[in-house]
Amino acid sequence: MATVAGTAQVPAAGSGDEAGGRRARADAPRGRWRRHLPPYLAISPYYVLFAVFGAFPVFFSLYLSFQDWDGIGDMRFVGLQQYSWLLQDSVFWHSILNTFEIWFMSTVPMLFLALVLAFLLHSQVRYAAAYRVAYFIPNVTSMVAMTIVFGSVFAQSGLANSMLKAIGIDGVSWLTSALGIKSAISIMIIWRWVGYNALIFLAGLQAIPSELFEAARVDGASSRQTLFRVVVPQLRPVILFAVITSTINGLQIFTESQVLFYSDDPGTTGGPGQEGMTIVLYLWQKSFNDHQFGYGAAMGWLLFALIALFAIINWRLVSGSDRDGRRGIAWRKEARNGR
Amino acid sequence: MEHRTMSRRGLLGASLGGAGAALLGLSGCGAANGSVSAGTDHLGLWYWNGALSDKLLATAARGVPGVPGLKVKGSPIAGEYESKLLTSLAARAYVPDLACVNSSVSVFFPDEHEFLDLKDLGAGALEDQYLDWKWKSGTSPSGRLVGFPLDAGPTALYYRRDLFEKAGLPTEPGDVAEATSTWEKYLAVGRTLKAKAPGNPYLVSQIAYVFRMALYQSPKQFVDADNRFIGDQEHVKHAWDLAVEAYRQRLSARVLDSTPDYNAAMSRGRVATMINAVWAINGLKEVAPKTSGDWRLTAMPSGPANYGGSYVTITRYCRDPEGAFAFLKWMLGPANQLKSYQEMALFPTTPAVYTKPAMQKPDRFFGGQIPVDVFGPAAEKAPVIFFSPYEDTANTPVFQELTNVETLGKNPDKAWRDAMNACETALSHLGVS
Repeated sequence: MATVAGTAQVPAAGSGDEAGGRRARADAPRGRWRRHLPPYLAISPYYVLFAVFGAFPVFFSLYLSFQDWDGIGDMRFVGLQQYSWLLQDSVFWHSILNTFEIWFMSTVPMLFLALVLAFLLHSQVRYAAAYRVAYFIPNVTSMVAMTIVFGSVFAQSGLANSMLKAIGIDGVSWLTSALGIKSAISIMIIWRWVGYNALIFLAGLQAIPSELFEAARVDGASSRQTLFRVVVPQLRPVILFAVITSTINGLQIFTESQVLFYSDDPGTTGGPGQEGMTIVLYLWQKSFNDHQFGYGAAMGWLLFALIALFAIINWRLVSGSDRDGRRGIAWRKEARNGR
Repeated sequence: MEHRTMSRRGLLGASLGGAGAALLGLSGCGAANGSVSAGTDHLGLWYWNGALSDKLLATAARGVPGVPGLKVKGSPIAGEYESKLLTSLAARAYVPDLACVNSSVSVFFPDEHEFLDLKDLGAGALEDQYLDWKWKSGTSPSGRLVGFPLDAGPTALYYRRDLFEKAGLPTEPGDVAEATSTWEKYLAVGRTLKAKAPGNPYLVSQIAYVFRMALYQSPKQFVDADNRFIGDQEHVKHAWDLAVEAYRQRLSARVLDSTPDYNAAMSRGRVATMINAVWAINGLKEVAPKTSGDWRLTAMPSGPANYGGSYVTITRYCRDPEGAFAFLKWMLGPANQLKSYQEMALFPTTPAVYTKPAMQKPDRFFGGQIPVDVFGPAAEKAPVIFFSPYEDTANTPVFQELTNVETLGKNPDKAWRDAMNACETALSHLGVS
């Protein structure tokens, strides 16, 4: 840590001198301090708040993961005990599997739907702004309130089953079967995030030069061909961004399961077969229902490791595509300069 | 221009100063004493909505009658009540002087010194006024009275008189009590109901209720006073077997609590009986208003039990322990428990009031039956139970497996083994062997 801080300071001081120019050299160090103080003060609220509500809890939870603590009494150092218990905990592994299943079942259809929606929004439609607002509204609606509504939708005699009945499909056990539970949660995630991702895709679409669309039209491409041959390749970096954010969100699914399967006994454990038990729900249950804060903290750090792993994989993919993209720009520049 | 920059700088300075002052305030205030009421003229009490009488709290906020100068202000805490209480205790700041805790008061026993021993404040003299098992359940293993009795949750058998009649079963509470005097006889009644009553109703909404109530009839639970796991013994297995038997005989509607399906089942008469605590009356009236007049109450099969009911504690941060105890004496004394029952349906833990006219009121929802006639004796005869701090951790896997048996059709024997393994693993993390 010390070496990192040390190396970081050197270029900072150097650049400060350069920027300050001749006047800085004439001033006393105290004057320089006074001159630099206001901007640092101006940006300090963020850092102070981050230190208190961001950095401190992060490091405290790391400390906590090596302790045995019920939330009030004295902490007891237990070394790696919590981690070793956790790796032997079948419920924890089950929750990881559940989380990935739900993530896959929600993210793949959601991104596809978002792409189609964005493509439709991008074409000439009336009241485009109204549509954009409408698609974004689910993302800013209270998830707790919506989960209660979805609870009725997915009830045995709820809206979803009534609609399925109308087309001849008999009662699906949405909330009492493994597939039903995961589908219900996935549908809620799709409902919430599809509009958000569609808007991101739309922004990406609008950045695609219109000549490409015109050229496609001149060549007689159908809408479908335009979508898959022009739009998707051009949107690759945007799609990767959407995949990354969806992964990070997807690994932290919590509210849907917690509200949908809230119960006193057996506690909020994700419904029948614990099929709705996600990693974060288990973390919450162990910490705040069972008062095993060390265990919960250890779980948080294993989740962090998992997300970091995915971030690295994603980063590899993105940096690869980014290099391609930059090369493309460089070629274009060369061509322009050549002319 | 000059003027504008000045004002902007002024604004910046003011907002910075404000943020700084707020942060200082955050860290400074509570540190002096730890009590949420530091620097005020009243004591702070935390509760969740419905735990205490709003009218009595309004009176206490103006001044506790009979205690000059004492004011107690209640703050209804929304959301995760227990987490918030734990947080304030862990932070040792903004801790309420008095705090309600739910039926799982034993969870706090390992940290009992966060709370004052109410016996030191003279609670011992009041013991005779309260239900024996309730008083003992608020007492820690070391003998300190941590939780002062608030309300009780005596249980009863709720049944649909109309459905019983159509199935050719006894209909009057006394006769039904006789016909369902044991769990086995209760299940037999369930078979008759399903075969003969219109719509073939189920006996219970969920088999978890059979397990829970049979377990609460036992003085022993999952962990004993010596911190040993006893959840694999006969008293738990017996309750489990009864629940599984109800499942095998298809007497359960298999609807989970507080779901729309549960509400539909209760209001449409798909479930003919309910074994639950007195506080379930409110929920039942809410979800099944059309069944008003059809329900009756009688004694629970195989004897009474208690399910739920809260306590009030005085934390060690309390600024005025004598005052806080004087408030408890007033708020939870027999006279005001009676008022709380009338206003909030909080069932008194002071049995002397059960015979008072205010409690002997017929309820039209139960066809004019007087509920306290059933719940009163149940409250007085409920068993004394030893609850360890780890009961919720221990019973979670068992309830989970019962749900799995019922909704997913899991093999009951495998479910029992899985439940026991999960119990032992979870408890071993807490130092229970």
